[in-house]
Amino acid sequence: MISYDFEYYKPTSIEEASQLFQSLDEQGKEPIYFSGGTEVITLGRVNQIITGAVIDIKGILECLVLKKNENKVIIGAAQSLTKIREVQLFPFLSKAIVEIADHTARNKITLGGNICANIIYRETVLPLLLTNSQVVIASHNGLKQLPINEVFNQKLKLEKGEFLVQTITEQSEVDLPFLCVKKRRQWDVGYPLLTVAALTSNEYIKVAFSGLCSFPFRNQLIEESLNNKQLSKETRIEEAIQRIPAPILDDVQGSAEYRQFVLKNTLLDVLDAWEGEGNA
Amino acid sequence: MSWSIGKSIYRKEALEKVTGKAKYTDDYSTSGMLHIKLVVSSYAHAKIKAIDTEKARAVPGVRAILIGQPFPLTGEEISDRPPIAFDKVRYHGEPVAAVIADSPIQAKKASELIGVVYEPLPVVNSPKEALLPDAMLVHENLTSYERIEHVYPEPNTNIADRTKIRKGNMEQGWAESEATVEASFSFAPSDHIAMETRCVIAEIRPDGFVVFSSSTQSPYMIKKLMSDYFNLEEGKIIVKTPLVGGGFGGKVSVQLELIAYMATLAVGGRPVKLVNTREEDMITSPVHIGLDANIRLGATKDGKIKAAEILYMFDSGAYSDKGATVSRAAAVTCTGPYHIENVWCDSLCIYTNHPYATAYRGFSHSELLFVFERAMDMLAQKIDMDPIDFRKKNSIMPGDTTPTQTRLNQSTVGNLPNCIDQLKQLMNWKDGQVTQISERKIRVKGVSCIWKTSTIDSEASSGVTVTFNADGSVNVMSGIVEIGTGTKTVLAQLLAEKLKMDINNIHVKMEVDTQTTPEHWKTVASRGTLMAGRALLKAADDATEQLKDIASRVLMCSPDDLEVGNEMVYVRDEPDTFINVKDVCYGYKYPSGYSIGGQVIGRGSYTLRHLTHIDHETGQGKPGPEYTVGAQGVEVEFDTRDYTYRILKAYSVIDVGKVLNNKAAKGQVMGAMSMGLNFGSSETFVFSEDGKVLNPRLRTYVPYRYGDHPEYVVHFLETPYIDGPYGARGVGEIGLIGMPAALANSLSMAAGVDLNKLPITPEVIWKVKGGGG
Repeated sequence: MISYDFEYYKPTSIEEASQLFQSLDEQGKEPIYFSGGTEVITLGRVNQIITGAVIDIKGILECLVLKKNENKVIIGAAQSLTKIREVQLFPFLSKAIVEIADHTARNKITLGGNICANIIYRETVLPLLLTNSQVVIASHNGLKQLPINEVFNQKLKLEKGEFLVQTITEQSEVDLPFLCVKKRRQWDVGYPLLTVAALTSNEYIKVAFSGLCSFPFRNQLIEESLNNKQLSKETRIEEAIQRIPAPILDDVQGSAEYRQFVLKNTLLDVLDAWEGEGNA
Repeated sequence: MSWSIGKSIYRKEALEKVTGKAKYTDDYSTSGMLHIKLVVSSYAHAKIKAIDTEKARAVPGVRAILIGQPFPLTGEEISDRPPIAFDKVRYHGEPVAAVIADSPIQAKKASELIGVVYEPLPVVNSPKEALLPDAMLVHENLTSYERIEHVYPEPNTNIADRTKIRKGNMEQGWAESEATVEASFSFAPSDHIAMETRCVIAEIRPDGFVVFSSSTQSPYMIKKLMSDYFNLEEGKIIVKTPLVGGGFGGKVSVQLELIAYMATLAVGGRPVKLVNTREEDMITSPVHIGLDANIRLGATKDGKIKAAEILYMFDSGAYSDKGATVSRAAAVTCTGPYHIENVWCDSLCIYTNHPYATAYRGFSHSELLFVFERAMDMLAQKIDMDPIDFRKKNSIMPGDTTPTQTRLNQSTVGNLPNCIDQLKQLMNWKDGQVTQISERKIRVKGVSCIWKTSTIDSEASSGVTVTFNADGSVNVMSGIVEIGTGTKTVLAQLLAEKLKMDINNIHVKMEVDTQTTPEHWKTVASRGTLMAGRALLKAADDATEQLKDIASRVLMCSPDDLEVGNEMVYVRDEPDTFINVKDVCYGYKYPSGYSIGGQVIGRGSYTLRHLTHIDHETGQGKPGPEYTVGAQGVEVEFDTRDYTYRILKAYSVIDVGKVLNNKAAKGQVMGAMSMGLNFGSSETFVFSEDGKVLNPRLRTYVPYRYGDHPEYVVHFLETPYIDGPYGARGVGEIGLIGMPAALANSLSMAAGVDLNKLPITPEVIWKVKGGGG
């Protein structure tokens, strides 16, 4: 039950959505874009999200695209995680998706909702960061397409009134070998203790993390450490851990020290998988 | 041939449930019903300096706002709890105000506008802390509270009750012990997570009757306690209970009913509804108890246990409610199912600033067995004896005495050694406890023996009435609440067996209405089948006698020559001479028009026999009737590098006396096992340093999901309990109680360290292994 009243709009075009946002904002309604609604409902009922109006983007065709086109995979922000996984255009993303929440929730959670969520994990962003995907953002002066690595820093950096429309990934990137390992406090459903996503291209390993710090990230210094084959795997991992850019989470899922222990093991598994066990 | 006993009969309410049509308390609404929303404490311990309700009162639709009052004080053994906190809050989540409004949304809006000013107080965050000499007192005026006779709060301490067991001669026991182990154990409070959150509807009718609908395991206790607390006429209190979506002990306590009554009183008796959110259900309403414990156990080199010294310190939270009863039950069976001549046990119910405790499936047994059965494995290891052989050697047997010095016989204790033998075989124990699977992974087995009796009120009783329809079919009325255990279906089976009739012609009333349904004390403690079953068999006898009486006059013979079966009353040795039950169950009408007899109403009741309070100094007494015993095991696959594990298989071999409904019994046991495993491996409240619950929601408090389950293997032995219906023993809880211990034993063996804290997550193992420095 949500105790505040809010208006609901379902525009059918990007322009209409942008205009609605502007006018609702001018009326002081602090509008938010709405897709699957899982966060608005669950955080709204405890007043952690408060808004006077929601703008549902599920009526906008561009947000519902799900296709392979000229060697690119294009996914609309309003597509549900279940649907994206079913079509299997992007196996790396599918693997990240299947570990998020549970099937019933994934029927509602959308790609855009997950990337732009308040929840700190936002795990769908990991494959997109590692495949150098592009994001299409609707802003008040039209669509813009940008590399996600430029506009995602802890969060997707959207200006007021902007919203994510699509992600675009090169098929050549989609085809690269990947790993996506989610470790939990216990058992197989729920939030991560940490998630490590990795991809290898020309024998260079790229990694991105969720649940390790209070935001998902990819970090070039960490990647440099892990790829420094002059050193033993253990030393590389030690060095990588020194380069984690923010405090390691310490919460009910696990202590910071334990997360480090799990991270070491997981990174070792990643290196073993692609370099072979025992290779220094 | 059995008519029904042992068969896997579908639950009588199955179709209602699987079609989604079954109704629970919150599914009922009436016009003009008002809605209650609680404001709960954000502190674990604080003075309430001020409560500002002005803005809340201005919200449209708000009818009344309740805040705490000094009286009444409530609680089943010690009256220590105001229904709404008064003067101070003692746990995170405690109700501090209740808003009553026309709609749920208005009530919620208004509740968010109530401003409470707190002055935080130091927090008692564990039983051990509570016992420190300079500990903050959770209740400063403990001795001023009213209490029942058999509870012993200790003035100027945080001890609400102490139960003592003094059996044999400890000095001698230690002298004879060639090996001893000592260890400490602990786990924090957790929750039941019933699918249906607690809900109550209350109204005061114009004629003064107070009517409740409640999702409760104790409708008759509500009637009694409401009468005590609010000085109401008991006959003018009616409690209705429809189907309940899981209790697990959590719906034993009377809590929301008190607030609902005060709320309806405040709005002129109009119906009011109070339904818990999941968060409230987890911490505002009472929880599963926590425990700190110390144990010292001694044995001879050849494996005979000689002495056990145990201190159980139960974390009852802010109020003693059921915590005192739980801690007493733990003392009664403190040793696990073993014959030990010398036993010293103190079991304490301790106040802390945690959510307060109530019953939890197993009622202290999974808790005490975790402690005792871990110590058993440690001692077996110390004397280099196989843990199963060690257990078998010390098994409690007919002729042995319990910690409360009750002498047992085959009927009251069943056959533990046979359970152990069968478990050993099922688990292929001879293949070894540890098997290497790969460089990193091992498979490891662990076991626990189990026993449980039910220490319920010695005057607790159950009543059943049996009526007939004109077609000869039968209606059964029992005060058992259908909480998901299928007990009412078992009652129908017992009646089908007794009357030798088709179970499809037996109808069971699922809902309870205390005004018209004979009382069943509480639907708790695995007592439904025993007590209501015995009452039902007596009611069947009563009805049979009446049927025979009428039929004897029609068939011109003595009632002694008649039998009832196949929905007929017939002459025993000439079954062709008969009359249908349908022709006599409403009396018999002769062709002339004369009628004899009247409608047949069978009645029966049952009260447990020869139960006593236990002696305060020694624990001597007979607090429970029979014991159910068994042996359980767990097989895990353990990763020696990162300490993660999977539970592959979980085993139960239980002496249930008699299997009444095969699949229902297995389902009961498997469900209980899953609860026990997840309590052992995952479920716990996480407390901050200032006593707040950090995970009062299902996002971060994770019950088992469908795919998480291991393979369950359940076997039954049948050593009859002579007093039980057809020899049956209680089976509702027993499947849970050895699981945490068996899991802990397998993982301790796997990890090579003693794992004495629950839940055992990989992080806990990592820590015990020295991780994190």
